[in-house]
Amino acid sequence: MDITKRKRELVKEFSPMLEKTSLLSILWIAALIAIIIVGLYAFYLQFINGHKVTGMRDNVVWGIYIINFIFFVGISYSGAFITGILHFFKTQWKHSIARIIKIITVLSLIVGPIFILLCIGRLDRLHYLFIYPRIQSPITWDIIAIMTDLIGCFIYLYLTFIPDFAILRDTTDLKVPKWQKKIYKILAIGYQDTTSQRLRLHKITQIMSVMIIAMAIVAYTVLAWIFSLTLQPGWNSTIFAPYFIIAGLYSGVGVIIISMYIIRKAYKLEKYIKKIHFIGAGIILLVISLLFGYFTFSEYFSKWFSHKTNDQELLDTLFSRYFWEFILANYVGVLVPIIILFFKKLRTIKSITFAAVIAVLGLWLNRYLIVIPTLETPYIPIQDTRPEFIFYTATWIEYALSFAGIAAFLLLFTLIMKFVPIIPMSGIIDQERDEEKGNKNKTEEVQ
Amino acid sequence: MKRNQFKYPLITSFVIILLCSTTSFAQEIDVNNYKMFFNFTTEKQADNSRLLEVSFNAKNKKDRKDIMPVYNAEIKFFNILNEEKVLIGSSNTSKEGVAQLILPESHNYLTDANGNINLKAQFESTDALVNKTAEINVKNLHLELNLVEIDSVKTVLVSAFTTNKLGEKIVAEDVEINFYVQGMLSKMLIEEGYISNGEYEFNFPTDIPGDINGNLLVHSMIVDHDEYWNVTQNKNVNWGVFHTHFVKEKNTLWSAVAPLWMYTVLTIMLIGVWANYVYTIIHLFKIKKEGKKL
Repeated sequence: MDITKRKRELVKEFSPMLEKTSLLSILWIAALIAIIIVGLYAFYLQFINGHKVTGMRDNVVWGIYIINFIFFVGISYSGAFITGILHFFKTQWKHSIARIIKIITVLSLIVGPIFILLCIGRLDRLHYLFIYPRIQSPITWDIIAIMTDLIGCFIYLYLTFIPDFAILRDTTDLKVPKWQKKIYKILAIGYQDTTSQRLRLHKITQIMSVMIIAMAIVAYTVLAWIFSLTLQPGWNSTIFAPYFIIAGLYSGVGVIIISMYIIRKAYKLEKYIKKIHFIGAGIILLVISLLFGYFTFSEYFSKWFSHKTNDQELLDTLFSRYFWEFILANYVGVLVPIIILFFKKLRTIKSITFAAVIAVLGLWLNRYLIVIPTLETPYIPIQDTRPEFIFYTATWIEYALSFAGIAAFLLLFTLIMKFVPIIPMSGIIDQERDEEKGNKNKTEEVQ
Repeated sequence: MKRNQFKYPLITSFVIILLCSTTSFAQEIDVNNYKMFFNFTTEKQADNSRLLEVSFNAKNKKDRKDIMPVYNAEIKFFNILNEEKVLIGSSNTSKEGVAQLILPESHNYLTDANGNINLKAQFESTDALVNKTAEINVKNLHLELNLVEIDSVKTVLVSAFTTNKLGEKIVAEDVEINFYVQGMLSKMLIEEGYISNGEYEFNFPTDIPGDINGNLLVHSMIVDHDEYWNVTQNKNVNWGVFHTHFVKEKNTLWSAVAPLWMYTVLTIMLIGVWANYVYTIIHLFKIKKEGKKL
C-alpha cells in the first residue's frame, strides 16, 4: 500500500468539510451565536441583580444549572469511559466514531463546569475555593477531579489528533488559510509517521486510555458523593455512585448515537458511520437502560419500604406534584428505549436514534427529580413559608443560559469539525495497514 | 367434599378447647377478696408549705401483685386538738389512688403545748367500701439550708428547730438528714448525717460538675422521721466545677486539618495521574525531537 497516496486520497475525500462552508452551516453558526448572545445577556442580568432573577430561593438553592452540570459532566465521563474501552480493546470499528466521542467528552467537560459557576451567588469569591480549600469537602474533591480529568481528556484528544495534523500539514493541495496550516504544523510537533514515532504514540495513547477510564469512574463517583454524603432525603444513598455512573453512561451513549445520526446525515458519512455502529451502540444502550432501570427501582423501592418520614414525604411529592415528570423520567425514559432496542426488527438507525433521544430527555428529567424535590422537602421547614420560597420554577434567565450552554457545545463541535476531519484519517490508514499485514502473514503461512 | 378439619376430630376438639379459655370471660371484682390500704403521710416542702397525702389502694388477699388504686374517693383532712376537730379540706383520689392537699406556710394549725399538730385523714364509707381513717402527729420543724463559702471552702450549713407556744426555739436533736444534688433524672446522694444541737455542717464536694454554667440544686431531706415526718429544703448555687477536658485535637472531618489518610490517598492518586501526564508530555517531546532530526 502506498501510504502517501492513500493519505492524499483521504485528504481529498474529507477536505470539503474543512475547505467549504455552506450557507446552511453559516446560518447554523449564526443561530448558535445568537443563542449564546441571549445567554450572555441573561448572565449579565444575573450578575448585576444576583440570584433573585432565577427561581432559586432559600430551600431550592440548586436549580437547573446543577442539573445541566451533572448532565454534561455525565456525558463527558461516559464518553471518556467508552472511548477508553474502544481504544484499549482495539475495537475494529472504533475509528468511525471514536473522534466524535472524544470531542463530545472534552466539550461537555468544558461546558458542564460553567453551569457550576452560574450556581455560585458570589462569583467574586470564587478564588476562595483555591485560597482556602477544605480537603474534607467533596466539593473540593470534585474541583480537583474535574480539572485533572479535563487536562487528561485534552491530552488524550490531542494524542489522537497528532497523526491527522501531520497529514494535513503535509498535504499541499489543501485549500485552507495560512494561519490554519501554521497551526497544523505547530500541533503536528514534527510527527513524520516513522515506525518509532508511531509506536511511541500508540504506547502513550494506550496508557492514557486506561487512565481516562479510571479517572472517569473516580470523577463521577466524587460528583455522586456531593449528593450522597449529605443526609438529605433522597440523596443519602450508598448506591448513588454506581447509580450516577450508570446514569452518566446512559445519557452519554444516547448523546453519542444522536451525534452520530446528525453528523452522518449532515456530512453524508454513510460509508464510515454504518448501521452496524448504530446497532452496536443500541445494544450498549439497551444493556445500560436495563441497569439504569434496575438501579432506579432499587433506589426508590428501598426508600418506599423503609418508610422513613422524610423519605415518605419525598415520595409523596414525587407521586403528586411531580407525577408526570416521574412517569416520563423513570417509566417512559427507561421502558421505551428498552422496548425499541430489545426487538431485533425494531433496530433501525432511525428507531435507535429515537430511543436515544427518549433516553437523553428522560435522564435529564431524572436528574431534575433527584435535585429539586429533595430540596423542596427539607428536614426543617423554613420560617417564611411563602410558596415561591419553597417551590422551584426556573426563570427565562436560567433557560436562556441553559440553551446558551447547549449552543456553545454545538458551536465548538461545529468549529472543531471545520478544523479536523471528524473521521480520523490516520485511524483508517492504521486499520488498512493492519489488514495488509494480516493478509501478508496469512499468505506466508499458506506458502 | 369432606372438609379437612373433620378428618382429625381429636385435633379439632383440642383447638376448640383452647379457644374456649376460662380467662376469656369477663370477671367481676369481689371486694371481699381485697384488703384496703389507707396510708397517710405529710411532708413539709421547700417553700414551707405542707403536703398532706393519702394513698388508698386495694390489695388482693391471694395475689399480692394484684393492687388496685381506689379512684375518685373523697378524703377529708382534719386538724384535731382534744375535742376540737377542724376540717382543713378535702381531695379526691387520682387514678393512682392518691389524694393530696397542700396547706400554705401561713396556715394556722391547732397545736398542743409541745407543738404537736394532730392531723387526721378520713374516708367515709360507701355501699362498696367501709370507712377508713388514719392519724398522724407532726411537729412543725423549721429547716434552714445555707450554702456559704467559709475561708474559700464551700460549706453546707443546716439548722433545724421547732417553736413552742411562746415562740421560743427548740433545737432538733439526733435527726437523720440526707443531702442530694439534683441530677437530670434523679437526685444524687452527697452526704448522710445526724443533726446535733440543731445544726449540721459539711464541706461541699469539689468534683460535682453541675450544668454547663456550673449551677446546682442542693436538697436537704429528712425522711420518715417519727416527729417531723418528711421535711425538705433546697437551694440553687453556682458551685459546679465544670471540668473541660483538654483533648489534643485530632485530624478529623470537622477539624481545620483533614485526616492524614485523606491527604495520603489524594496525594497518591494525584501523583499517579500527573506522573502519567508528565510521562506522556516527555514522550511527545521525544517525538518532536525525532521529527526534527528527519
